[in-house]
Amino acid sequence: MAELVSGVAQSALTAAVPLLLAGTGELVAERAGVLNIGLEGLILAGCIGGFAGAVLGGTAGGLWLGVGGAVVAGMLVAGIFAVAVVYARVDQIVAGMAVNLLAFGAAGTIWHALQDAGRDSLPSGAGFDRIALGGPIVFDQYGLGWLALALVAVTGWMLAKTRAGLVLRALGEAPEACAVAGIDVLRWRFAAVLACGALAGLAGAYLSIMRTHSFAPDMSGGLGFLVLALVIFGRWRIGGLVVGCLGFGLIDAVQQQLQGAGAAGAVSYRLFQALPYLAALFALAVFRGRGNGPAQLGRPWPEER
Amino acid sequence: MIPPRFHGVALAAGSAAGAVALAILGLWCAGFAPLAVITTWCAGAFGNGTRIALSLQEAGPLLLTGLATALAFRCGVLNVGGEGQFLAGAALFTAAALVLPVVGFALPLALGLGAAAGAAWAAIAAGLARWRGVPVVLSTILLNIIAVAVLGALVEGPLRDPATTAPQSALVADVFHLPVLVAGTRLHLGIVLAFVLAGVVWLVHERTSLGFEAKVIGLNPAAALRVGMPVAARQMQLLVASGAIAGLAGAAQVAGVTHFLSAATTSYGYAGIVVALLGRLHPVGIAAAALFMGLLDTGGRACEKQLGVPHELGDVVKGVMVLGVLIAAAWAARRSAAAHQGPADG
Repeated sequence: MAELVSGVAQSALTAAVPLLLAGTGELVAERAGVLNIGLEGLILAGCIGGFAGAVLGGTAGGLWLGVGGAVVAGMLVAGIFAVAVVYARVDQIVAGMAVNLLAFGAAGTIWHALQDAGRDSLPSGAGFDRIALGGPIVFDQYGLGWLALALVAVTGWMLAKTRAGLVLRALGEAPEACAVAGIDVLRWRFAAVLACGALAGLAGAYLSIMRTHSFAPDMSGGLGFLVLALVIFGRWRIGGLVVGCLGFGLIDAVQQQLQGAGAAGAVSYRLFQALPYLAALFALAVFRGRGNGPAQLGRPWPEER
Repeated sequence: MIPPRFHGVALAAGSAAGAVALAILGLWCAGFAPLAVITTWCAGAFGNGTRIALSLQEAGPLLLTGLATALAFRCGVLNVGGEGQFLAGAALFTAAALVLPVVGFALPLALGLGAAAGAAWAAIAAGLARWRGVPVVLSTILLNIIAVAVLGALVEGPLRDPATTAPQSALVADVFHLPVLVAGTRLHLGIVLAFVLAGVVWLVHERTSLGFEAKVIGLNPAAALRVGMPVAARQMQLLVASGAIAGLAGAAQVAGVTHFLSAATTSYGYAGIVVALLGRLHPVGIAAAALFMGLLDTGGRACEKQLGVPHELGDVVKGVMVLGVLIAAAWAARRSAAAHQGPADG
């Protein structure tokens, strides 16, 4: 029994990490007033960027090139999105859906090219596996998992306690006031979206080079949309987000256990996989209060007259 | 210069041309001869009667999902759940076709059930938005993912063809096939129905008070509320209607093209968003965009088969096209606003 609990705790934390990474990125963008529905595409860009980097880097540099490639890929796609919504002031939701499509196509094309070149498997021994610490099994996690927790903590501190965090939060509430105070609203929002891209890219690298050691064109599988729900569920606070991500990691771990325990004979495994999304819909319906989001979320600045 | 009423057309055509040029340039860099790509694409998309029919066959579901998306978008409801509603329609149509008795009116009845399934799937999002304040854009996306899972469970479970091991249903009876228009292809009556529906949507948009209300609500919900329009109710009605069209598209795809249900999804629902935006939410524009996308896909498949061009590149072209048209439209709108306002006015 203790073994089962420990195993579930381990896979819950493993499943929570990509949610935490992408969620922290989305939180930064949304607090700055930019609703990034393209998060799913940014994660997928990270998946393929990480995979391609790891393949090119080989055993020696695969880990660093993989992680670096994912960050660059995420920021690149985020940059395209940011140009469209921050500078061209395109509707954020619609642009986000376009970015998802673009990233989906680009990731598929790159994957196609990698396969044609016969480079569709990761180099071995490059540090993509769980690191055994010798303690309870729950602490045996992927390297990026620990980095993720550190990044969440740093971002939480940054948002709450630093001037940069104050500026970011103000951008989502009163960009006009920021502009009067001499802050370059557009440049700050652009930077916030890029940061979101970097974190979402890391989430993608975690999925491809760490958790599955592979790539599939649909591997983000709606995770980005789940994260959007979690940010709302967490009421745009880092603490709420962490609770939500851990909770959904647990749901995922339990559904994996149920699948493995033979319940899958009676019910299709596909329904188990849909469980977190159903839960997200429920959570939104039950817990969503009004007036908690940044006042200017989704609105371009300066607004049209 | 271009007369103002054709600015939208120019924007969309320019974006499409730019995206295609970018793709050809990219392929050139990857070592594909541009001329070979262009000639293969043209021959594949409209080289002979059969290829034209194939492109039209591809355009049919895109036209329907594009109309569905636009109907909701136009009144400010971001229904990005066309995919789930499409699958719901396809699933209930297939289930009905497998159990209904083979009688004369069975096909229209089954198609109607498909539309109803799409409407019902959209109604979940409508209800969550109306009574629980859940953003439609999120609920419809989550419902897409759930629909894919339910579809997979259905074709592996209750709807699975006992004769095969593949996750797919049995073939539906001939009575449930939409009549084929061009021998040797599966260009079916559905394309005609889709164009008729586009005409109906145009009439509703331009000639009825419902269409006018939808437009006002989409442009300025606060003003619509102030003049006494039932904003929330109208939005929810149009969301459900949008789901019905997407469901019909799914049903027509089984009835006219596949004749069975499988777990392999085709993303016509997501493509419908591209069609609607490229068509600037106008029925005529949507029809043109659907035809263009049909040509793009059919020609793209020929390029993949004959030259080895990855078909995923088609999605890149679509994404670039949409972003291009959005950015160009935002820029043009600001420019014309500035021109009307005149210089040095605040």
